Amino acid sequence: MSTEFLLEARQVTKHYGKFVALGGVDLRVRRNTVHSVIGPNGAGKTTLFHMLTGTLGVTGGSIAFNGQDVTREPGHVRVRKGMARSFQVTSLFPTLTVRENLRLAAQGVNARRAFNLWRSPQGHWSCAEMVDRVIERLGLRNQERTAAGSLSHGQQRRLEVGMALAAEPKAIFLDEPTSGMGIDDLDDMKTLIADLGRDYTVVLIEHNMGIVMDISHTVTVMQQGRVLVEGTPQSVRDDERVRTAYLGSMITGGRK
Amino acid sequence: MRRNIDIAVALGIVVALPLLLSSGSLASEVLIYALAVLGCNLLLGYTGLLSFGQGIFFGLGSYTFGLVLTRTGLPMPLALVASIILGGLAAGLVGIVSIRQKGTYFVMLTLAFAQMFYFLAYSVPSLTGGDNGLLNIPRPPLSAFGVVLWDNTTAWQFYAMVAVIFLLVFVALHRVTTSIFGRTLLAIRDNEVRASAVGYNVPRFKLLAFVLSGAVTALAGALNAMMVGVAPLANAEFHVSEMILVMTVIGGAGNLAASLIGALFYVLAADWLSTLWPRWLMLLGVLLVIISLGMQRGLWGLIEDGFLALTARFKRTGEIRVEEKQV
Amino acid sequence: MSVYLLQTVNGIGIGMLYFLLAVGLSIVFGLLRFVNFAHGVFYLLGAYFCFEAVRQGMSFWAALLIVPLFVAAVGWVAEKTLLRHVYAKPHEFHILITVGVALIIQELVIVQWGPLGDSVAVPSGLEGVVMWGDFIYPKYRLFVIAVTGGLAVLLWWVLEGTRLGSAVRAGSESPEMVSLLGINVFRLFSLVFALGAATAAIAGVLAAPIRGVEPFMGIEALAVAFVVVVVGGLGSFTGALVGGILIGVVQSVMSTLWPEGARLMIYVAMAAVLLLRPNGLLGKRG
Repeated sequence: MSTEFLLEARQVTKHYGKFVALGGVDLRVRRNTVHSVIGPNGAGKTTLFHMLTGTLGVTGGSIAFNGQDVTREPGHVRVRKGMARSFQVTSLFPTLTVRENLRLAAQGVNARRAFNLWRSPQGHWSCAEMVDRVIERLGLRNQERTAAGSLSHGQQRRLEVGMALAAEPKAIFLDEPTSGMGIDDLDDMKTLIADLGRDYTVVLIEHNMGIVMDISHTVTVMQQGRVLVEGTPQSVRDDERVRTAYLGSMITGGRK
Repeated sequence: MRRNIDIAVALGIVVALPLLLSSGSLASEVLIYALAVLGCNLLLGYTGLLSFGQGIFFGLGSYTFGLVLTRTGLPMPLALVASIILGGLAAGLVGIVSIRQKGTYFVMLTLAFAQMFYFLAYSVPSLTGGDNGLLNIPRPPLSAFGVVLWDNTTAWQFYAMVAVIFLLVFVALHRVTTSIFGRTLLAIRDNEVRASAVGYNVPRFKLLAFVLSGAVTALAGALNAMMVGVAPLANAEFHVSEMILVMTVIGGAGNLAASLIGALFYVLAADWLSTLWPRWLMLLGVLLVIISLGMQRGLWGLIEDGFLALTARFKRTGEIRVEEKQV
Repeated sequence: MSVYLLQTVNGIGIGMLYFLLAVGLSIVFGLLRFVNFAHGVFYLLGAYFCFEAVRQGMSFWAALLIVPLFVAAVGWVAEKTLLRHVYAKPHEFHILITVGVALIIQELVIVQWGPLGDSVAVPSGLEGVVMWGDFIYPKYRLFVIAVTGGLAVLLWWVLEGTRLGSAVRAGSESPEMVSLLGINVFRLFSLVFALGAATAAIAGVLAAPIRGVEPFMGIEALAVAFVVVVVGGLGSFTGALVGGILIGVVQSVMSTLWPEGARLMIYVAMAAVLLLRPNGLLGKRG
């Protein structure tokens, strides 16, 4: 097993009855890079994420993470192995505070210890250090005692990313982290993700080409459940097939 | 501190009941049902699981207690322990099959299993007395090594024992619900998918909550059998499951002290209204509808809101932020 | 005539009634994502309204036509005034509000007709038995099988062959899409809910001469409907049919082998199916 690639997915397929959502996808993600997955709607990007993180099971193919085969492992086990994700549609614990959301995410890595019926999550058990670190990084210090459901959309999207961070993962899977964000929040998020790329391996689904082209090391383009093209942002942007897939108009962003 | 209010309220009510009620058995009934409601609340208010099957464990607790006391020579405390253990085991069995299913499917299954248990109890009269139930269940004094520690003959003496047991369970459950485990349950109630995505084995957590719930509910059933002297088939009827749920919702899901309020409300209403109007259950139905439409936090929610409104009046300066809590 | 043949035919008869009970529940769930815990009282109302109608001198045939419409109206009103307000809330409240409604209706039934049960006479013309050589069987029960079979065909035709049916099936996949297509989704919901109530009521009317009426029959009906739906698979029309007949036959055959355990075996059968096929025999994931 190669150690250059943190994540290796081979011929991953997903069928829903007769509908083929993924028709054999290969994906290899190098350590400590930002690897973006882009493609038109319906390409299967989120489905691929579900396969990689274990949210849903594969119909066929294999997934290896950090040298281990995780294909049959349920999502909650993969967290322990070092995978963490955010969701395209905000999925937080709405009635719980920001701090509590993050504590749960931090504790989740060691989920077995959460079967403690006796101790309350204070002091040593509060994961306070990790929670504080993530809150600082997200810039949510003023909102730490607010219920997650009461945050603004932009703050919620940041917290989504934070939930993945709090697990101190090896790989972070971000599913359209900027979806629905306004211009002000966008720049903050872009800086955050670029920042993350320095410390973690980031696998990113994004529609915002400005972010994808500027911060990715590798870009995989998907279409209709398969990989169309893979390469550096530059090569992907210039590729004819990608232009056709996007009907020529979508990849215009980026400062390069 | 917020967390100690619950215990203070429970203690307060337990002490106040003998002063307010004239019947010891009515007071015991309140606490016994409150135990069952605590079990149901653990599932509904903390884990987000709506169970129509609590009657299984209540009935099973009654039968186990009756059988152990009348057919084995084991002392009463052990009979109680046996009920608790069997209740937990039964909950484990039902849970393993039901928890695999999502949302409403789970609810339907618990109801079907409740009916199953009822017919099971009906069809093995050698164990359960069938239609007649188990009769002549004694109420032995609490004794150890031959020394009588506490006589249970009068209703109020029995109440004292029930009260102690209740408070012990209440404090224990309070500990559990504020523990790391309990907080994880709350997360699961809020968003199961997220809980799984951050690393928690959700079915296992639900199962443990279910087992705890079954154990506590069985204890309630056992105490009920001891109080009434009978383990009737009726304890396994759908009606029991339904009423336990109703008490939980009326009291307010998600708060332990609310469980006591719900049981108190129901038992007193039943006692008072049933003589006035035999069809008083209709009002309960109306109350359920009202709560579903607008009063989701139940009576406890009303009390909390009322309290906040009162204190707001005394604090004319400054703002009081009322937290909008969605159950 | 062999006892087992007799019980199998009985089982099919009961099973068809169970199908009728379950199919309304299943369709309502498919579209509204709502498990109606008041479904049992629609069955109850069907039986009692029939009882009362017959007692007042109406013919059973008229009752069979009118009572379900009446109960459908009750369902329509309940959906519009009460249930509609909880769709946006967590599913616990869908269940709880219908439990509340069920409790209210059950108590009203007791207020009106008393807590004890009663019987309903088999309609004239259907009394007695049919004799085909060795095969002797009560006429009324054959009638029930025939009617429920016809209703099954009718329902199938409505679901698969009409625009209403298409709207229901489409709406089960995506209510948003259906409303974008210009169909008044709220009216559709009310209609389907009323339809569910009507099918339960018909089952109640048909069952009354066999089982009599009794205020708590709604609970057992609800539980059986759940079992059939779980066995057959939630959201599946054929599942409700297969599940209903299977459960009916199990109950009938068991009533010869182990009478006290006949009812129990329904639930044991359910548990067995669940262990082997968690989605039911014909279930599609809803």
